[in-house]
Amino acid sequence: MIVAEQKPLEEIRRMIAPYGRVLILGCGTCMTVCDAGGEREVSFLHNALQLAQARSGDVAHTFSEHTLKRQCDPEFLELLTEKTADVDVILSLGCGIGVQAIAERLPDMPVLPGVNTSFMGMTKESGVWDERCAACGDCRLEDTAGICPITRCTKGILNGPCAGVKNGKCEANKDMDCAWILIYQRLERLQQLDKMRRYYPPRNYRTIPRPRRIMSKVDTVVGEGDG
Amino acid sequence: MNMVNKSYPENRLENAPDHSLVPPCQDACPLHMDIREYIGLVSQGRIMEALQVIRTGNPFPSICAYVCTRPCEDACRRSQVDKPIAIRSLKRFAVEFGGDRMVRAEAETTHEEKVAIVGSGPAGLACAYYLKKSGYPATILEAHSDLGGMLRVGIPQYRLPREVLDIEVQRLTRMGVEIRTNTRVVSLDLLFELGYKAIFVTIGAHQSLRMGIEGEESPGVIDGATFLREVNLGLKPSLGRKVAVVGGGNVAIDAARTATRLGVKKVSILYRRTRAEMPADPKEVEQALEEGIDIKYLVTPTEIKSENKRLNVTCVKMKLGEPDESGRQRPVPVKGSEFREEFDTLIAAIGQAPQTPDDFGVRMGRGSTIQVDPSTLTTNRVGVFAGGDAVTGPATVTEALAAGRLAALRIDDYLQHRYPLPVKEAKEKLSGDLLPETIEMIRKIERVEPPSLASEVRAKDFETIELVYGWEQAINEARRCLRCGVGVEILFQDKCATCLTCLRVCPYHVPYLDASGTIRIPADQCQACGICVAECPAKAIVLRKPFDRRQVTEELGHTIKSAVESKTKPLIIGFCCQYGLFGTGTLARLWRSAKAGVSIVPVLCVAKVEAAHILSAFETGAEGVFIAGCGEQCARENTTYWVQQRVAKVRKVLEPIGLEPERLQVFALGTTAEDPAEELDKFVEQISALRLASVIKGEVES
Amino acid sequence: MANSLFEEKLNSNDFIVTTEVGPPKSVDVSEMVHHIELLKDKVDAINITDHQSSVMRFPSIGGCLIVKELGGEPILQMTCRDRNRLALQAELLLAYSRNIVNVLCLTGDSVDVGDHKEAKPVFDLDSVQLLKMIRTLESGTDMGGNELKVAPKFCIGATVHPEADFIEPQLIKFDKKVAAGAQFLQTQGIFDVASLRRFMQYASQFDVKILAGIIVLSSAGMAKYMNNNVPGIIVSQAVIDELAAVEKGKGLQKGIEIAARLIKTVKEENLCHGVHIMAVGNENIVPDILEAAGLVNVSG
Repeated sequence: MIVAEQKPLEEIRRMIAPYGRVLILGCGTCMTVCDAGGEREVSFLHNALQLAQARSGDVAHTFSEHTLKRQCDPEFLELLTEKTADVDVILSLGCGIGVQAIAERLPDMPVLPGVNTSFMGMTKESGVWDERCAACGDCRLEDTAGICPITRCTKGILNGPCAGVKNGKCEANKDMDCAWILIYQRLERLQQLDKMRRYYPPRNYRTIPRPRRIMSKVDTVVGEGDG
Repeated sequence: MNMVNKSYPENRLENAPDHSLVPPCQDACPLHMDIREYIGLVSQGRIMEALQVIRTGNPFPSICAYVCTRPCEDACRRSQVDKPIAIRSLKRFAVEFGGDRMVRAEAETTHEEKVAIVGSGPAGLACAYYLKKSGYPATILEAHSDLGGMLRVGIPQYRLPREVLDIEVQRLTRMGVEIRTNTRVVSLDLLFELGYKAIFVTIGAHQSLRMGIEGEESPGVIDGATFLREVNLGLKPSLGRKVAVVGGGNVAIDAARTATRLGVKKVSILYRRTRAEMPADPKEVEQALEEGIDIKYLVTPTEIKSENKRLNVTCVKMKLGEPDESGRQRPVPVKGSEFREEFDTLIAAIGQAPQTPDDFGVRMGRGSTIQVDPSTLTTNRVGVFAGGDAVTGPATVTEALAAGRLAALRIDDYLQHRYPLPVKEAKEKLSGDLLPETIEMIRKIERVEPPSLASEVRAKDFETIELVYGWEQAINEARRCLRCGVGVEILFQDKCATCLTCLRVCPYHVPYLDASGTIRIPADQCQACGICVAECPAKAIVLRKPFDRRQVTEELGHTIKSAVESKTKPLIIGFCCQYGLFGTGTLARLWRSAKAGVSIVPVLCVAKVEAAHILSAFETGAEGVFIAGCGEQCARENTTYWVQQRVAKVRKVLEPIGLEPERLQVFALGTTAEDPAEELDKFVEQISALRLASVIKGEVES
Repeated sequence: MANSLFEEKLNSNDFIVTTEVGPPKSVDVSEMVHHIELLKDKVDAINITDHQSSVMRFPSIGGCLIVKELGGEPILQMTCRDRNRLALQAELLLAYSRNIVNVLCLTGDSVDVGDHKEAKPVFDLDSVQLLKMIRTLESGTDMGGNELKVAPKFCIGATVHPEADFIEPQLIKFDKKVAAGAQFLQTQGIFDVASLRRFMQYASQFDVKILAGIIVLSSAGMAKYMNNNVPGIIVSQAVIDELAAVEKGKGLQKGIEIAARLIKTVKEENLCHGVHIMAVGNENIVPDILEAAGLVNVSG
């Protein structure tokens, strides 16, 4: 899933400054799971903005809140029509995709990002998320025992550990496991160390000309925004 | 600052269905009392409300508070963790501290149909109470000079003080129940002729069973029921120095302990099985032993000879053989184990049966009991209902009360020509034991036993043995309740993102993923700590009704409203745990010492205070907010941890708003040695200073 | 035929001595010039570090040009941290055109340990791929498969970490570096001769020269700091204790003594093919070490 962090309150207040009526829009999928923009966070932010406004004596804004099941599909965004009737701006607590989906769907409505979309990852424990995939478009997990060196090695190198590893930890972060040590250990356990001995040529970055598109159907009509 | 312009999602909960489950205690109670609810209220120090709940389900709670055999405690799931909740003692506390004797029962007569109640035992009294409540003119006919049946003539005074019974009888009289004592009914036809439209026969089971051994008629041999009746009616039978009581039920124990209180030096109980099979209340058995009563197990008398004004009793030793139809192992005599012992008196308390006059014309069943349809209590005679020991054989007071209540309902149905609907449980029963991993996590808290008279003191007279809890003891005991069946549920399944937060934050390992990948929070395991409710990022989880009659938000709104009404702006808002602390005095002191401008929001455990609630409190204009929980004394797990998490989260946004982090404080009342009022004073001073500083700053800036 | 004096030396059976000089964070290169002049005739080659520890400095290629100007033998340290494959290849063309042919191929320290933590880490290639890429250039084509009008020819090396606490994956990588064409390997700092000996038992099967890395420490505090903060350095407790035992102000002297002792052992026991002395900011004292180690002015 996509993992994000809510932006600091000051930044959000600065962004909404030019607008009067603000709809705080949550997302019921990834942003809920990573505690950045589900209904609870929407509500908490709503309270915080209202309190900030009350304490500053400036009553420029009125706030409303709503949470969609998912912001990144146009059909869900259609459910917004009523909610946006008397709104000047949408403060989206969706990921960067959600924000852009809203921008595409509502051409006249300004939309602001309330979270910093950080990475694709998984829950380590309650309240802790770890990055696991860089969406590089060229998956090598077969060769690395299911542990991604692109994401989990700070240098993303392909031919084994650098010399910076100490106690199995990364030179960039002493709390972080060296991906290549993990790969080595798991390959050893799987009796596939020959995979580590192989030479891996430089990555083909051409697999990711941005922005990417996946078309799973044949004869797809290339639509607008094809870039 | 009004809080109304934010639509709190909690409002959607108003119409949320009550999905709570029937807890095992309630299920085990013949009266089906809402035990969980009143224990919960006691734990919050809301004793009057607790009494109200008790009175709703029980016509004579004061009586039950003394003599109930506590099937609820046997069913209590707390015993899987440590020991069951002392439910009867807590009820006793609630009826005494809640002022049950002051409660006035009033009833108007709205029906014409007169109903006669034959017998004034617990079933008769309860039936009269409910019939009168329903507006029927009811008449109790009692053969003895006083009402109460077995409550008066069977149960010794040390177990049930007679003034308690008298108060209930007076209450019935005040309600307008007609009472005719010294009236033995010999014919039901006569009652019908007198104009009664329905009759409830509840004549009890006063006839002692015979042992069927040689010498049973000897002088010095007396039956248990007769013995207890004589003593209870004020006679003082002469028993001699050495007394044997035969039997293992409550009557046997009552008879033995009564004999002790009459000054008998040596009282022995002869019981043909072992202690494990004894039908008597184990607590009573224990107390009897403490009072010096000797119990001989696996012994039964086979012959009694009267010699020199003494009884020479031949006994035989028994051993347990094959189980009988009751499932208990049948005792069989051990050949050649006969022995003799001399006694002055032998009290036979091996059971009792009803003695129904043949003229009643009702069909009888096994053991001279009256046959009835168990769901309607109707006999073979139209308009004649029967219940209590007369139907069941000797049973408990609570069962008799339940029968009386059912009879009143059914007589009402009958008189109103309604087809009696079968009693159906509206709610699902809680099923299954607690999971081992849940039990593991539940904090063990010792059961607070009610105070009682010391054995050497109590055995001398008929003073009531069990004393009532003190305020603090009662509250601490009530806090042990696991509140089975009012845990949380995922009410908004559509919102659940299956993020597994609930599964991860639950201290009791209750939520789980089913095979389809759906998260489940089984109600029979949930401990209702509320942590997942406050943490669910989708706000999909709620506590089952009626756990939170008022959500924290509503309580907050209520507090603000009363502040507005008294034309004060809250300077400080405190979320204070209502469990326990109110009773142990800490919160009570806090309330009392609360300065002007300090508003307190009572909450059921501070783990239920969400980060947004804290912000809401600031939004109302409060300059400071505090959270006062029980700290380490909290009966639940991880409370402090989650409070700290939420406080940290709120402080993070307070700072950019220009509110100092000191404006939000946590007091762990249960642990602080200092006076919480002093801590609050300090906090008030601190907040006043901060406010002053910001006012000055504002003026300088302008 | 050898490409450089250094390569010639590598091909001989002589004991090889290299050292390194770190460029300044400045446009004033006088101190570096001083260090190069001091060392150029006492060692076989001088490594010029490439933004060592990810701290932005005067570039490695610039330092190598100065070594060349001063008549020394440079080894161009080249990391993959800051340049993608285009920039790396271009710089190699520049190096070759200026007769800088000794190249030490490194992955490079993480950006996070340096002084520009917000920089974009490139790592388009890793050290093994860089070695391969150089061999590709030598074959007459660039990485895109395009022909080079004139192909360069380099003497390439890499690093290895014999004292890594997790040695097996490091050895696998060592194999890959050798297979990719590394002619020499300068090791990370060695503090324990036993571990070097163990490593050489493994490495001696390959036709490659191993230069043992010698780090000169000036105090126990420095040793501990390096253990905690410098990637690839693990100072043994014995060395830390030895440094801690000396009186204040005598630490550097002790450090020189330890370094010299290590070098002597390496040479006398013929453990490997040479040493690479890293004075880490104390380049001035390298001649003292050489003297203490009894190494005569080798390149005369």
